[in-house]
Amino acid sequence: MSPADVSDYRRREQSVTLSPANEPPNRGEEGRGDHHELLTLNMGPHHPATHGVLRLLVSLEGEVVRDLKPIIGYVHTGIEKTAEDKAYWKVIPVVERMDYLSYYFNALAFCGAVETLLDLEVPKRAQYLRVIHLELNRIASHLVWLGTSALDLGAISVFWYCFRERETILDLFEMSSGQRMHTRYFQVGGVIEDIPAGFEDKLRAFIGVMPERADQYGDILNRNEIVVRRLRGVCPLGEEELLALGVTGPLLRAAGHPWDLRKAEPYCSYDDFDFRVPVGTVGDNYDRFAVRLAEIYESVKIIEQALEGLPAGPYITEDRKIALPPRHELATSMEALIHHFKLVTEGFRVPPGEVYYPIESPRGELGCFVRSDGSAKPVRVHMRDPSFVHLQALAPMVRDNYIADLIATLAMLDPILGGIDR
Amino acid sequence: MTYDPQADALPVSRPAEPGRGAAAYRIFGETLRGMKTTFGRIVEGPTTVQYPEDKAPVYPRFRGRHRLHRFEDTGLEKCVGCSLCAAACPADCIRVVAAENTPELRISAGERYAAVYEINMSRCIFCGYCEVACPFDAITMGHDYELSDYDRSDLIFTKEMLLAEPVERAPLRAAGE
Ligand code: SF4
Ligand code: SF4
Repeated sequence: MSPADVSDYRRREQSVTLSPANEPPNRGEEGRGDHHELLTLNMGPHHPATHGVLRLLVSLEGEVVRDLKPIIGYVHTGIEKTAEDKAYWKVIPVVERMDYLSYYFNALAFCGAVETLLDLEVPKRAQYLRVIHLELNRIASHLVWLGTSALDLGAISVFWYCFRERETILDLFEMSSGQRMHTRYFQVGGVIEDIPAGFEDKLRAFIGVMPERADQYGDILNRNEIVVRRLRGVCPLGEEELLALGVTGPLLRAAGHPWDLRKAEPYCSYDDFDFRVPVGTVGDNYDRFAVRLAEIYESVKIIEQALEGLPAGPYITEDRKIALPPRHELATSMEALIHHFKLVTEGFRVPPGEVYYPIESPRGELGCFVRSDGSAKPVRVHMRDPSFVHLQALAPMVRDNYIADLIATLAMLDPILGGIDR
Repeated sequence: MTYDPQADALPVSRPAEPGRGAAAYRIFGETLRGMKTTFGRIVEGPTTVQYPEDKAPVYPRFRGRHRLHRFEDTGLEKCVGCSLCAAACPADCIRVVAAENTPELRISAGERYAAVYEINMSRCIFCGYCEVACPFDAITMGHDYELSDYDRSDLIFTKEMLLAEPVERAPLRAAGE
């Protein structure tokens, strides 16, 4: 086949090179022959253990991973580009669909960025409601991670237990916003609706049982011989290297660096709450597991405090240039109707400028960059997604380890492909 | 910066490399403890719903299939064809073509009515912005979530389909449930 016949895609695929594998160990006489041969293997795109449509090009020497290259882009949706063509409030349901396990975080990163540009004060009640939903979402996301990771290690019961609790959380989301995933509950300036009657009781019941349930997961996994053997001391990566690779969130904290944006740069009233940041010591897979499990308890504590201290007041800003007027006013006030028409058809204008708004998502630093030129549509929306950054740490973690440990490490990395490809 | 990260750090515990006896305990004792946890769940009973025989109940705010409404007394359509819902839709899946009401043919309460009103359900993301946008409560999100069909073109819902009395398959949750 002449080079001209090769399609663009094939050429790109052929251009993927693997960095030279480490020198094969000198095995003397018996090391002769095919032991030295590297086997290049495609893991994915639809491998059950890749947690999404991820393709890993793995160079194996026997069972040992010598090199690895993640190939992404299978769920590229062009959301960032789509967002440039939509009024600010219509971007919210769109960006929520990036990292599909932490939709509230995506929405907050975007809303927070726009609020910063608008210099808008968010009412206290809205901030507390946001914190409640964010932390519920963090637990839900960790539950999916825990369930699927345990599945990768061969334990199936934990998966059922995790999804049972996640179901309760999704029910709570459905109750407050009407949808279980991608709720578009957060709006610029607050939340779209107040919580319904009965929500607080249901939430209280949930945070009452959640620590007990998390204890059960711990009972099954914490000291289980198989889990310990599969995780402890496997694929560690030190603090220095993680920082150099830009890794944040539970992975960095597992290596003993207590960096948490909720503490370091409090947003959304997080400084009102008393909670601690779980950290590990060596940064191996066991620490990564233990840190996330401990975070579930801390999230429950935050929800408890936010629910106790939930202030009265408006749930969305009263600035009529930004928030839609209350529905009952539409029938009585001409002014409200005009505002409503204008906001729905054109949307609000945002002063020119650019801003980067970072928050602590379940996976690490999730930042949203928004650039405005003064019109009602953003010029550029970009998300710094933690999964994307973390994926580059996978190769240094698993190099020269067994392929079975690659599966465990990938599980502990918790990448979400919707967020990586966007 | 006054922030001291170490102040709030909470070290997680790690299993130690046990000696002989402890290792034996961990292999058998911990496995038994895990099994106690799993078998202890039997008394709690199942939490699953036997779908599709039993439908999962929804909350009042649930956003399912859309509905268009009529005035109960006059039977006129509430929709006046203002296209606000189409303007609000992030997925651009609503198509409204308005026409004038005439004294002989009065369809809606306002000056105009929607001659064509279509929602493409295969594009809809169920964000509910159309419901939020409509100033006359003409369109609301219903509770039906069983929308699958054999053909994509069947998923374009016309005005007649949206105006018809919906099938109430999904039960609504009672208060406090
Ligand atoms: S629910 Fe959202 S996507 Fe669906 S028709 Fe309404 S506005 Fe459009
Ligand atoms: S449903 Fe409501 S918003 Fe849409 S065209 Fe009819 S009246 Fe206007």
